[in-house]
Amino acid sequence: MGGRTDILGKLKSDRAGLAGFLIVTFFFLIALGVWLGWLGQGWSDASGGRWESPGSAHWFGTNILGQDIFQRAVYSVRTAFEIGLVVAVFSTLLGAVLGALAGWYSGSWVDATVMWMKGVLDSIPFYLFVAALAFALHGQPWAMHLAMIATFWTTTGRLVRAEVMKIKSMDYVRSARSIGLHDSLILARHVLPNTSHILLVQATIAFVAAIKTEVILSFLGLGVQDGVSWGLMLAESTQEVLAGHFANFIAASGLLFLLLIGFNLLADALQDALDPRQAAL
Amino acid sequence: MKPLLRKLLQGLLLILGVTLISFLLMVWFGPDQTYTLIGKNASAEQIEQIHQQLGYDQPFFKRYLDYLASLATLDLGTSNASGEQVKKILMRTVPVSLALMIPGFILGNLLGIALGLSAASHHGQWRDRLISGLSVGGMSISFLVVIIAFQVLLSTPYGLDLFPVRGWQVSGFGSYLQYVTVPTLALVFVTLGYNTRFYRAVFIEESGKDHIRTARAYGASHTEILWKHVLKNSMVPIVTRVMFSIPLVVISGSLLIESYFGIPGIGLATFEAITSGDQPVLKAVVGLTAVAFVAIQVLSEMLYRLLDPRVS
Repeated sequence: MGGRTDILGKLKSDRAGLAGFLIVTFFFLIALGVWLGWLGQGWSDASGGRWESPGSAHWFGTNILGQDIFQRAVYSVRTAFEIGLVVAVFSTLLGAVLGALAGWYSGSWVDATVMWMKGVLDSIPFYLFVAALAFALHGQPWAMHLAMIATFWTTTGRLVRAEVMKIKSMDYVRSARSIGLHDSLILARHVLPNTSHILLVQATIAFVAAIKTEVILSFLGLGVQDGVSWGLMLAESTQEVLAGHFANFIAASGLLFLLLIGFNLLADALQDALDPRQAAL
Repeated sequence: MKPLLRKLLQGLLLILGVTLISFLLMVWFGPDQTYTLIGKNASAEQIEQIHQQLGYDQPFFKRYLDYLASLATLDLGTSNASGEQVKKILMRTVPVSLALMIPGFILGNLLGIALGLSAASHHGQWRDRLISGLSVGGMSISFLVVIIAFQVLLSTPYGLDLFPVRGWQVSGFGSYLQYVTVPTLALVFVTLGYNTRFYRAVFIEESGKDHIRTARAYGASHTEILWKHVLKNSMVPIVTRVMFSIPLVVISGSLLIESYFGIPGIGLATFEAITSGDQPVLKAVVGLTAVAFVAIQVLSEMLYRLLDPRVS
């Protein structure tokens, strides 16, 4: 694995990856604008009539309640980043910790327990699990996040476990052990940092999965509880498109597609830049 | 035989885990059905009676063991919501879901294999780039968006208006085709990107192996290498992916498709059971999915042996 500058250089020469990076940055700036209160603040005001056509007053028209669809679509960028970031960060961390423990103590009961948990979670159909968790938590707004974190860590866990098993037998880890450093210190300082390439890619993938899952869950009534999201807009549009009102659908699905393709391109580029073996494919 | 036994043991532990989680979430912490069953103004005795009937007065482990026992003996009970026998519900809904999902599942995998093979055999050339680019594009579109788009384009006056908007009034092969086409196209579209990418990577990895290089050096033709060597030797990962995605695609996929199109299959029945806290139905669905998953794992272990004599 090359140094950081090497990775940046590779990323820059990868045009698709660069495009992905720019798209994600652009959306992140919008989300920042919403957080700071500069953008999308009128998303819940009934500022127009029902189903107004796009025009200078309402760029994307209005929905059934007369709310401005452009404002709602923009505000949803913030919702998407909140869900994506929370799920990506926590599921990746969980996967890193459990995967590292399983790999470090491979063959022991710790390893067996982690792998059993992974097997169990992978065997439950995902939407069933989320739906059940959402109802068990009695409509808690965090049920969706929790369910995704609880299930998305398994891939990261498996990859980190395999990597840690490899790192464990390397000389620098053996020498750290031989001078009597504590296991937890070696794991935190010498082992986990060397799995960062896996974590970065997996976090990007988890971000994509989280945003896509939010859409489905919100449609099923298990997702975003208050506020607005692309999933809720699409759920709203399922009735509207049959009556010929496409503004909600086009606005939400268009922005959703752009952000997802940005993240997918970025994930691919990161994978190529960070993992030379995969890049050879 | 030893690895098979190990798989079986692991499978049993998995079933225990899945049933424990589903029991915890859906039964122990699940919705309380007392008042939906007897109304708001029930007397204390009525409440006690219904608690006894639902098993709410029993301790945790007793209830979990009862749950396991009823699964093991296939004594699935009757739905709390409709009073219908769970076995009958399953026999009514599972065939609908299978009829709904199988065409799309098979087509999605076959097309994925074909596109993956096509991309892999032109690795690095424009065709590979085009297919890879389109796969990433396909992976970036939400399932819900795909469903809505196909519905508008094929089933409404704003598009071609060829198929029914929703529902499942199937009486023969003609009407089956009418109702299954739009969901099938949506399923194929949404899985194709992932499948193509996966199979492409498998084929490219296989193409780089020594035996392929040797075959090429011996003058085997391009098509012969693709069909006889690359595809044949990729059977293990292909079978693994297909087998493992069956229970997940069928349950999770049918949940969304069926609730969107209002199709009375197992996905819709499950979703309704979750929202109403209909435990006997959930018990059956989750328990049987877990058993199916484990059965598939054991079965694929056996298939590997058939496909690859080196596995022992």
